[in-house]
Amino acid sequence: MNVEAVAAGLPALGGASAPAGAPGADSLSGFGNWFGQQLSQVNDQLQRADAGLRQLALGDASNLHQVMINLEEARLSFQLLVQVRNRALEAYQEVMRMQV
Amino acid sequence: MMDYSQAFEISASGMTVEKLRIDVTAVNIANMHSTAAADGTLFRPLRVISRSSLPVFASQFEDGAGEAVYKLRGAQIHAVQELDVPPRSVYEPGNPGADDKGFVALPGVDHVSEMVTLVVALRAYEANVAAMNAARTMAMKALEVGGNQ
Repeated sequence: MNVEAVAAGLPALGGASAPAGAPGADSLSGFGNWFGQQLSQVNDQLQRADAGLRQLALGDASNLHQVMINLEEARLSFQLLVQVRNRALEAYQEVMRMQV
Repeated sequence: MMDYSQAFEISASGMTVEKLRIDVTAVNIANMHSTAAADGTLFRPLRVISRSSLPVFASQFEDGAGEAVYKLRGAQIHAVQELDVPPRSVYEPGNPGADDKGFVALPGVDHVSEMVTLVVALRAYEANVAAMNAARTMAMKALEVGGNQ
């Protein structure tokens, strides 16, 4: 197991301001960036699903199953995001509990 | 998520086809007793012709690394065809559309086969929903891996 990688990722996970130029700052912002991108993608998907739902409420039920599928896709993406967040938080807490 | 949205797309294509089949069958049933339109044309029963959007064998090809890539696509609507069936003649002298012998031409809609199409399309739609739900359940189960330990 690569413990170094976990340690490098710590400051970013905690949200603490990592010292600029510190080793691991790149990989830190890497995970943060990636997570932010995923977050905005899921947000887009949720908004699309919401727009479809609004269309449906306005009486445009021309493609009922597509609306439902968009909703399901948004839900799955959101669940995946939540699971990723849970794992990251778990790892962070695990490291914080470590005896020094 | 890509694999799962592909599964959803495939099921959605099947649902779209079956939805159109229901619509077209409803049109046939609705026009079962329609006499000729204002321009003299008589309604002819319609059929949905669906096909696979890609032949199964052509859908398997290799990417640059020599790995087989399966690009599966669902069903698509090929055509909505007018059936060439002879009209029914019904004796109805009072009807404004009747000819000089008192017969009215009505579309040759086969009521029984339309009802069968209705049921089959409905069940096929349900099967597509079941397939989609199975894919969704699989994805949800995959998200449970390693959880709640």
